[in-house]
Amino acid sequence: MKNIAFGQYYPAHSPLHAMDARMKVVLSVLYIVAAFLCKNVLSFAALLLSALLLLCLSRLPLRIVLRSLRPLFFIMLFTAMLNLFFSGGETVLVSFWRITIYVEGLYSALFMLVRILVLIFGTGVFLTYTTTPIALTDAIESLLSPLRILKVPVHEFAMMMSIALRFIPTLMEETAKIMNAQKARGVDFSSGGLIKRAKALVPILIPLIVSSFRRADELAMAMECRCYRGGKGRTRMTVPHLHAGDFAALALMLLFGVGILYLNRLGIGFTL
Amino acid sequence: MAVLSLERVSYVYGEGTPFEIKALDDVSLTVREGSVTGIIGHTGSGKSTLVQLFNGLEKPQGGRVLLDGKDIWAEPKKMRDIRFRVGLVMQYPEYQLFEETIAADIAFGPRNMGLDEAEIGARVAEAAAFVGLSPDVLDKSPFDLSGGQKRRAAIAGVMAMRPEILVLDEPAAGLDPRGRDTILQGICAYGKKTGATVIIVSHSMEDMATYCDDIVVMANAGVVLSGTRDEVFAKAEILTSVGLDVPQITQLCLLLRKQGVALPEGIYTTEAAITALAKILG
Repeated sequence: MKNIAFGQYYPAHSPLHAMDARMKVVLSVLYIVAAFLCKNVLSFAALLLSALLLLCLSRLPLRIVLRSLRPLFFIMLFTAMLNLFFSGGETVLVSFWRITIYVEGLYSALFMLVRILVLIFGTGVFLTYTTTPIALTDAIESLLSPLRILKVPVHEFAMMMSIALRFIPTLMEETAKIMNAQKARGVDFSSGGLIKRAKALVPILIPLIVSSFRRADELAMAMECRCYRGGKGRTRMTVPHLHAGDFAALALMLLFGVGILYLNRLGIGFTL
Repeated sequence: MAVLSLERVSYVYGEGTPFEIKALDDVSLTVREGSVTGIIGHTGSGKSTLVQLFNGLEKPQGGRVLLDGKDIWAEPKKMRDIRFRVGLVMQYPEYQLFEETIAADIAFGPRNMGLDEAEIGARVAEAAAFVGLSPDVLDKSPFDLSGGQKRRAAIAGVMAMRPEILVLDEPAAGLDPRGRDTILQGICAYGKKTGATVIIVSHSMEDMATYCDDIVVMANAGVVLSGTRDEVFAKAEILTSVGLDVPQITQLCLLLRKQGVALPEGIYTTEAAITALAKILG
């Protein structure tokens, strides 16, 4: 319970931490697009290289990043297996029993693996690890603000999102506390059949739901006491600014995309 | 005799992350059998972590927790039995109530112990009596009760397991003075009647002075002072150095003694002060 690392801000001083959150959202979208543009060995190698570069730039410990990949290990494995066994091709690599593995299959399995790795890593390194949740929701609000013309309640969505994010650690703490309290009264979560185990969750879930409602009520009250009236006319304490560095990063990312397209055209080896 | 003791225990939250916090650092202490022991300290001094070590909810990274001289982590599979022997009431326990009636909630612990219905019924009634819940409240839903009543019900839920050691983390936090007294008196009554050891965590010196035989003072993730009530309060300088105080009435008596009033030492409660003053004034 204490080691949930997927999507958690990691405080450090790095160019990526210092970057404007809105630019980071844009860059991560572009990075994902670039990952999907890759088609051959050269461009995938460039993608992998760029990921390593970003890792160095972000000054995140490798251990933390690897930990975030762990929950998705099976998805990666599954995708790689599917590609390995079920893609057709011309050159046979090995063939046994009813299974034939083609060289093309091996390539596409490797490519998919790299692509998924980079997708997770890219969003992590640009967004969750280097950007605080508050900055992230502010950025999304700011980026979506043109939708206001279409009467989309952008501020309200952003507020809901930041409240939800804000309460994840609180609820986890609360769950741990209630679990401990019930364990102290002899609840056994780890033995018995499925039904017995599900039943053991009742003493956790009921207090948790009750307390979530209580918290929501208290929060609504506190917000109202401070005259919260939604986004209209609301100013910010810290107004984010885009700097030259942010635009330079954007330019680099665009250049990277063009580079990927160029490498794709070189047409060396297997192409997706 | 020591019924519960810690040997050089240390506990760190979030080890190896940038959020690492040392909650307990090389803590050793012993709790006398049958005593009412108070653990006092400011928020963040490690009190709440400490009590979760007593019944094996948390495992210390270093050191040993001994119950009757045996390491409770020697057989982790038997931890449930340890938890029935060392009953823990966590902070704000009223938020853990979940059954439809108070009686059912108090019966939850004993039922997990596998007792028969007659025994469970007897224990529920007994525990409710200790904390001063009237029988008509027992059939009500937890949500129809006041905060103080819910707190009492939650404490009764642990008492009903009849633990040899009853540990309570801030049992009186956020209650009015009368509520505090009823709860703390009920807890002490449980200890006296069953011969159980009681450990109360609090940051109120007044409560400690009134109800505890022994006191452990914690600060900065360690024990700074421990001993009988008289021994601890005699070292007022150490208490003040960690931001705690002797009870106000003790302070007043100290000042009066300085002024030449012939009050005896070791006055910790208002009642004791009144009797002593009445004796002097004739």
